[in-house]
Amino acid sequence: MSYEVMVGNKAAAVACRLARVQVASAFPITPQTTITQYLSEMHANAEWDFDFVNVEGELSSQVVVQGASRVGARTFTCTSGPGLLYMHHPMQGTGSGRLPVVMAVVHRSYKGMQPDHSDLMSQQWTGWSHLYVEHAQEILDSLLMAYKIAEDPRVRIPGAVGYDGYVLSYTAEPVDIPDQALVDDWLPPNKAMPSILPDEVDQSTFSRGWGGGDPQDRWKSHHDAILGIEDVLKETMDSFDKTFGRRYGNGMIEEYRMEDAEVAIMAMGTIAGTCKAAVDKMQAEGKKVGLIKLRSFIPFPEKDLTEWAKKLGGIAVVDRSICPGKGGPVFSKVRDTLYDMEDKPKILQFHAGLGGKEVRVHDFEAIGDKILSYAKGGKADKVTWV
Amino acid sequence: MSEMTITPGSACQGCGAALAARLAFKALGPNVIRHGVPCCPDSVTKTPRIGTVFEGGGALLTGTAHGLKALGRSDVKAVAFFGDGGTYDIGFQGLSGAAERNENVFVITKDNEAYMNTGNQRSSATPKYSRTSTTPVGVASRGKATHKKNIPFIFAAHYVPYVATASVGYPEDLIAKVNFAKDIEGFRMLIIHAPCPVGWRFDPAKTMDVARSGVQTGVWPLMEIQNGEDFKLNYKPKELKPVSEYLKPQARFRHMTDDEIGDVQDFTTARWESLIDNDAKGKLIM
Repeated sequence: MSYEVMVGNKAAAVACRLARVQVASAFPITPQTTITQYLSEMHANAEWDFDFVNVEGELSSQVVVQGASRVGARTFTCTSGPGLLYMHHPMQGTGSGRLPVVMAVVHRSYKGMQPDHSDLMSQQWTGWSHLYVEHAQEILDSLLMAYKIAEDPRVRIPGAVGYDGYVLSYTAEPVDIPDQALVDDWLPPNKAMPSILPDEVDQSTFSRGWGGGDPQDRWKSHHDAILGIEDVLKETMDSFDKTFGRRYGNGMIEEYRMEDAEVAIMAMGTIAGTCKAAVDKMQAEGKKVGLIKLRSFIPFPEKDLTEWAKKLGGIAVVDRSICPGKGGPVFSKVRDTLYDMEDKPKILQFHAGLGGKEVRVHDFEAIGDKILSYAKGGKADKVTWV
Repeated sequence: MSEMTITPGSACQGCGAALAARLAFKALGPNVIRHGVPCCPDSVTKTPRIGTVFEGGGALLTGTAHGLKALGRSDVKAVAFFGDGGTYDIGFQGLSGAAERNENVFVITKDNEAYMNTGNQRSSATPKYSRTSTTPVGVASRGKATHKKNIPFIFAAHYVPYVATASVGYPEDLIAKVNFAKDIEGFRMLIIHAPCPVGWRFDPAKTMDVARSGVQTGVWPLMEIQNGEDFKLNYKPKELKPVSEYLKPQARFRHMTDDEIGDVQDFTTARWESLIDNDAKGKLIM
């Protein structure tokens, strides 16, 4: 174990080294850019045996990792906001091809350079798993876990790990770098894909990821495989904790001071950290507000949320993105999950931090006060722009 | 050499592209992963195949080549079989990137001069005056208004080890070029002129005749360019046949006037003279 002060983007590059990624490919875009620089330096210094392909655009970086992943290499790519949109087309093939690619998405808004979650949220239909993380240590740890999960033969689904640009990408904090030998033991070489080598197969079954059979079944099996990630993610979190001594809740969600909570705030990414400070302050004042930090958006923690909802009078859902004209994706999913409950908690929708707008501790205190009052029968606006 | 193509496959009668696949993959042998992007005919070889989005051909080859290297299996050849759309147009950026990085890949393009997979829409490989479903002939249109893109020269300008043209009408030349290129390290490209009876509108029994006529009239010169500078013309008749011999049997050019045929003749002659000049010097002057 060794601590080093590093920015989030370096934590991502160090995770590639620890995972012994074999082929990485990326195109620079703010605020992801320095990952490409760290990887280039690591390649120039031969820190481990890997290829870093400096491509001419994000679309190509996504397709490079497709090809390398299909032949069996462990791969990495990364991007931000507009670059992720440019990758949208081949991301479908990575998902449908069930390729165990891992990608870091350094969040950048489509309305400005600062972070919100609109980039990764806009890719819900591409058939990947989507994780949102809070700090640099969680970036490193989550990328390592992402390989373990994506390459699990029960899963074989590409994984995106999202973290907020600037606040994490370019901000330094102490990060514990796990011991390489421990990582090697915990994360053996990638054996997920069936061989495509000419001397080992007669004929490929990989054709734009479509495969044979009923085309509707291709969607169903893809959907079922992603739902199956929940168990593997929880199991992986347990084994990570056992090996490296750190955990983030059960992997799907991370509860913070929920023991005596009457209401909860649900938030993701860096602002969940801000929310922790607000929860501390409010609980010191005797207000029974806790935090449910949502880590896995796809698959969504329906079981965990339902269990918590039975004990709560209200949930304030904070969305750091919006589908214009439709609403917050997390709020929609929470309401969808709770619909079948007999005795539902009250829920409120908050939009916060969009376009990188600052979200402060007192903002979360106001959110906490609103949901406490609403849960006790007070009046409140259903939707609030913080 | 053993047959590597799947028969009857998905090709139409007289398909030049299916013939291009048959000849090229026979020469390549079995140790190949074939890369495909949308094009016709698609299911053509027995070799393992991987595919991706239309615009992703160059990057997919790149990824496979690096993946094979990581596995210690660089003996397996990453080979593309793309159409002119995947090469000249939607796939151009990614292929240019792969060429500039000198990736260890072999791009084989069968050029049938339009988007035949979707029903004969113009591409930037479509020759001037050609009638396609998106360059119809009408009071305001004489077919395609501009010349075919000079893709061999464009890729040669990336200073890659090998760029060549071939024609299904000259199988020995085509096979010799595949054999020469297949073991070179780095980016290689072979553009194969592949007549399409359906799109070009000629008798499917005449594919070889049309292909040969394209070469003999100088419309499709057979050439090789190494490292962006060493130039060689592979077919040099004492005298070229008139372009009308190539244009007349194809209904896509049926509307052309004598003046328009003269325009194509002038363009073809001028280009040929420049190629002869380059060939004499053994150097490509771009």
